[in-house]
Amino acid sequence: MKKVLKLSLLVFVMGLVALVLGYKFIYNKPHPDFEKAKSDFSISGAELFSQFKNSSQQAASRYNGKVIEIKALLNHVETPDSLTVAVFILGEGMFGDEGIRCTMLPNYRKDIWTYEGKEIKLKGYCTGFNETDVIIESCSIVQ
Amino acid sequence: MKKITILIFTFIIVSATFGQKYVTKNGHIKFYSETPVETIEAHNRQVNSALDIATGDFVFKVLIKSFEFEKALMQEHFNENYLESDKFPDATFTGKITNLNSIDFAKDGKYEAEVEGFLKIHGETKKVNEKGTFEVSVGKIFGKAVFMVHIADYKVKIPNTVINNIAEDVEVTVDIGLEPVKK
Repeated sequence: MKKVLKLSLLVFVMGLVALVLGYKFIYNKPHPDFEKAKSDFSISGAELFSQFKNSSQQAASRYNGKVIEIKALLNHVETPDSLTVAVFILGEGMFGDEGIRCTMLPNYRKDIWTYEGKEIKLKGYCTGFNETDVIIESCSIVQ
Repeated sequence: MKKITILIFTFIIVSATFGQKYVTKNGHIKFYSETPVETIEAHNRQVNSALDIATGDFVFKVLIKSFEFEKALMQEHFNENYLESDKFPDATFTGKITNLNSIDFAKDGKYEAEVEGFLKIHGETKKVNEKGTFEVSVGKIFGKAVFMVHIADYKVKIPNTVINNIAEDVEVTVDIGLEPVKK
């Protein structure tokens, strides 16, 4: 009887530990760290935009969901809502400017302003092309 | 449907030179699901949208991978299992304001709007009629709408293991600030 009790207690404790670990490392796992992630592609901003503009499906299957490092001239920075967006203008449509829009990680929201009008390398997670712009999220400045 | 979306986008783009078009690249869409088990909320703040105030044509396009969830696991499941964002990278609405006569875009104020069109999610297109508001203020137009989406209509499959965690009807909030097209 004591053995059964001990075994039950052991199973209960192990189950509890599994639940806590599952909650911490699976259910509550952190978001990917795109700042530390290795780039899947390193490409000029002009080339990336051109590929999406000319063959959006092909470019989407290649770049969507990937970590991309781009090099381009930073035209300006916008701060819509709670975001800080680095804007690279690489074309013009009837809606106005087109290009690449990169949302910056909180640690880089201040520094990005110092690169306005300069060439810069940024790294982030590509979410696709929305007819006018390539969107790259969670961006960091690559030194 | 993709052809229709491109045609409407093209129509708005082509007629943009006449200065009656308003656009944004930073619209906000919120997705909200509430069940007794769990509340799930996601935000996308990179919504591309255009409105032609002369014709009432209205479109928006949202990239699925740009939705941000509080929990990484939810975001992963949303993209990989439910919305299949590699296969269906975006959601679009293409439609028209049907009560254009009761909205004066030249005069500041808040106007009730009725919008009819096609909503495409997960590669499935459904005709929708929704109500919202357009607020005109110092040259800008702020559009707002809250509506329910029955996820089964868009063939989004929820596994039995989490069926109690996700509502059958999710609330979608659209909040966009449109500005005139810069020439």
